Amino acid sequence: MIRNYFKIAWRNLMKHKVFSLINIIGLIIGLSASFVIGLMIYYDATFDTFHKDKDRIYRVVTDLTSPEATFSIPGVTLALGDAITENSNFETVSGFYIERPSKVENRELNSEFKWPNFVIFADANYFKIFDYKFLAGNTSEILASPNNVILTENRASDYFPNTKPSDIIGKTLVYNDSLHITVTGIVENFKERTDFVFEEFISHSTILQTRLREDFLNKNWNNTNDASQLFVKVTSNADLSAIQNRLDNLAKEHQDEESKKYGDEQQFTLQPLGDIHFNEKYGIYDWSKGQASKSLLTNLALVAIFLLVLGCINFINLNTAQASQRAKEIGIRKTLGSSRKQLIGQFMGETFLLVLVSAVLSLLLSRWLINVFSDFVPEGLSYELMKSPLIILGIAVLLLLVTFLSGFYPALVLSKFNTVSVLKNHLAVGNKKVKLRKFLTVFQFSIAQVFVIATLLVGQQINFLLETDMGFKTDAIVSVYSPRAEREISKKELYAEKLRAIPEIKSISIGGHAPASISTNSSSVTYNNGDNEVNLDLQFIFGDVNYAKVFELDLIAGRTIRNDTVKELVINETCRKRLGFKSPDEAIGKTVLLGDQSVPIVGVMADFFQRSLRSDIKPMAYRGDWYLPDWSQFQAVHIAFQNESSADFKGTLSKIENTYKTVYTETDDYRVEFLDETIQKFYNREQKMSKLLNWATGLSILISCLGLLGLVIYTTNRRVKEIGVRKVLGASLLQINALLCKEFLILVAIAFVIAAPIAYYGINNWLQDFAYKTSINFWVFLVSGLAMIVFALLVISVKTLQAANANPVDSLRSE
Amino acid sequence: MKTILVSLNEATRTVNSGRHKITLLDNINLNVEEGEFISLMGPSGSGKSTLLNCIGMLDNFTDGGYTFLGEPVHSMKEKNRSKLYKEYIGFVFQAYHLIDELTVYENIETPLLYKNVKSSERKAMVADMLDRFNIVGKKDLFPVQLSGGQQQLVGIARALIGQPKLILADEPTGNLNSKQSEEIMELFAQLNKEGVTIIQATHSESNAAYGSRIINLLDGKIV
Repeated sequence: MIRNYFKIAWRNLMKHKVFSLINIIGLIIGLSASFVIGLMIYYDATFDTFHKDKDRIYRVVTDLTSPEATFSIPGVTLALGDAITENSNFETVSGFYIERPSKVENRELNSEFKWPNFVIFADANYFKIFDYKFLAGNTSEILASPNNVILTENRASDYFPNTKPSDIIGKTLVYNDSLHITVTGIVENFKERTDFVFEEFISHSTILQTRLREDFLNKNWNNTNDASQLFVKVTSNADLSAIQNRLDNLAKEHQDEESKKYGDEQQFTLQPLGDIHFNEKYGIYDWSKGQASKSLLTNLALVAIFLLVLGCINFINLNTAQASQRAKEIGIRKTLGSSRKQLIGQFMGETFLLVLVSAVLSLLLSRWLINVFSDFVPEGLSYELMKSPLIILGIAVLLLLVTFLSGFYPALVLSKFNTVSVLKNHLAVGNKKVKLRKFLTVFQFSIAQVFVIATLLVGQQINFLLETDMGFKTDAIVSVYSPRAEREISKKELYAEKLRAIPEIKSISIGGHAPASISTNSSSVTYNNGDNEVNLDLQFIFGDVNYAKVFELDLIAGRTIRNDTVKELVINETCRKRLGFKSPDEAIGKTVLLGDQSVPIVGVMADFFQRSLRSDIKPMAYRGDWYLPDWSQFQAVHIAFQNESSADFKGTLSKIENTYKTVYTETDDYRVEFLDETIQKFYNREQKMSKLLNWATGLSILISCLGLLGLVIYTTNRRVKEIGVRKVLGASLLQINALLCKEFLILVAIAFVIAAPIAYYGINNWLQDFAYKTSINFWVFLVSGLAMIVFALLVISVKTLQAANANPVDSLRSE
Repeated sequence: MKTILVSLNEATRTVNSGRHKITLLDNINLNVEEGEFISLMGPSGSGKSTLLNCIGMLDNFTDGGYTFLGEPVHSMKEKNRSKLYKEYIGFVFQAYHLIDELTVYENIETPLLYKNVKSSERKAMVADMLDRFNIVGKKDLFPVQLSGGQQQLVGIARALIGQPKLILADEPTGNLNSKQSEEIMELFAQLNKEGVTIIQATHSESNAAYGSRIINLLDGKIV
């Protein structure tokens, strides 16, 4: 029986090749999208799910709120750990400190490693919370004494190549030239997906021998650092609200006078282990990996669902439209003794076959898609993941679901035909089914239309973001960063001096980050105008006297700083207004209180965007390098090119790099940033979204148009006789085409009416993220609506013109 | 005494057409004994096909009693009716109604599938049937590749494969030329001799003559 069904299904598939193709293409698009996106969701959802008691592990994080803004910090103040250790709700409390040593030496082999990453200072509690497998070393006294280190297998093979784990135990590594540390253990790296990427665990007490000694001896409550991490494992019957209460009380207890005065508060919260991979607010440890974004995954999932639904709708549409062709077979089967259940089974079987074929093709396609969508697909995701049991199960369920969604209704319709009337050819095509098909078509086109409008508007906004004048020079500027460890300025000055010899360079400035960057450095400043006191959070850009010239910052009043180290501020307009000065000139010469220093304002510069256009312009000041020679804020040499055309860029760039090498002979840490690229990077997320939308739009238009084509073919074939009669009566080609197109174009138009407000609402919502945005233009809707109609018209005309062109003699004779 | 296969007692079928109630079959009383060959005659619209469809359980009488082999069909559940029908009745149509997507072999096999006959048994039965109708060479052809007469042969073969007690034939020769008609009718006569009860609807006097009894219908009534 089953074989018979499949045989019939296969023959039907081959008989109606166009319809089958349309069905399969629609399903393939939906299924491939679902597979790839499902894989991505699975990949991200299975991070750190392997830890024992994972539901009881939390990271303590800090939110700093001031009246102006909230800062979310994944770390906590050093004092917190000790304060909560004595609490019956916690099974284990483990604080660790992330610190990158500048150098690690294996003197035995004479090998040297600069800036190894993922090094933490931890204690035995860390290994109680996270279960590492020890390959060698004593597991009863983990990191019990200072100057011990545990390495992961990977790190050990870097430091001690080709050595057995057990042979490494007891060997010595030299950190930062002075710390002699003994390896006491080797652990296996986590084999499963994890964000805990740490490779070296130095005993926590060793930290007292580093630059951090003072911080740890006098732990205070008002300094919070990303590097200071605190993990807790709560007991199985822990009272989470009591813990939160305790944390709140601690925060309140230790709020200092100044914070109280300005309304600054800090709050500690427990971040569940499972949240770490997704919560962009607090981040993960390996920044280079990029974090999973729940909103991106949700959007992707929505796209997949939409595409899948569109495919299913195609299927339903075409199959109910085709129903009359199958009617005879159904009638006969019923007279031969088939029950309705058996018929439904048969049609579901056919649907399943089609879905299965599509699924196999989709699996092949997914492999390729993972490459195309590398922007979205996390780096570590490989096609091999498809083999995991959960994914296989998921695919199976999905296929059944799709089969059911697309097959059930047509099967119901088909199996319902009355045997006698079918066999007599008295098949009345119910009006209801036509209505349903129209409804589904409208639904499809509404989705496609929403995508089209959204794509255009998002594109417009991205254009706006990139085209908007940042307020300073962004083209033809590169920043060369100094080696990370360098704290003094002499080499930068030497480098800048040498660069001046290059004729293609217009101007050079030594300074901190560029005016727009992802880093911020801010302090609180106070201004007392005699009557009242204004306090605000002021961001700084650091630069020498040339900084304003290189970036062409626009000075409105006063002057720029007199020299590189003088304590003077050039504030921006926003800051000027916030401090309460009525005009730029009024601000000149006033002094603000920065910490305990009075600093004069010597100039006012025009506002410029310090970050992406998502955020408002914040109060900002340009200042020099005040603490030379002890400490320099300058980390980069900014270079403006003479010529803005890119023709000789390459030559100049290589000169810049060569000069760098003559100055920094013993390091190869050459880092160069192009300002315009940095700004583009602000909008990575938007660019990604735009790419995603482009695909979604293209595919949904494709599926919808295919569906429409199917319907048009079907309807036109049924009206061949009418067309013939009309032609005999003298209708022109155009008139007939118009007649045939009309009913479909109405559907597309209705879809537009439905889609426009939805798209408007959605985009309007999305634009709320931006402090600066384009206006939503009326014409965008008009253009996208027209575009859709043109698309539909093209698709429809393919068939209708052919039908209208046919010789009426042929079509009428067959009757 | 012969078994009564079909017994109709004031069987009536009415349908609603708009506001009017149309009576298609009007108080039909009829007993069909096993082994009979009945020809239903009458002009178009007299109710021949409707009566066949109702006896064949494709349609229902709206009133009156219908017993098949002593079982009351009119008060039977759909499931049991379908079982009865699968077991005892075969249909032959004017337009053959073969499934276009299936080969001759598969068309004949289909009723067995619905009766859940085992694969090996099916093979044997279909082979027998092909043999008997001399169409072994055509078993892999599709219906469109056959002439009308050949298609009707396949149709009859398909009706017979389930070894029914009753064959209902609705103008089985309506689409055939006279020579083909004759062959088909000879076949029916032969089957009747072998014990199959046949009810056919026909316009043709000569075809009707093959039957053992002629029933004339006019406007839904037996005359």
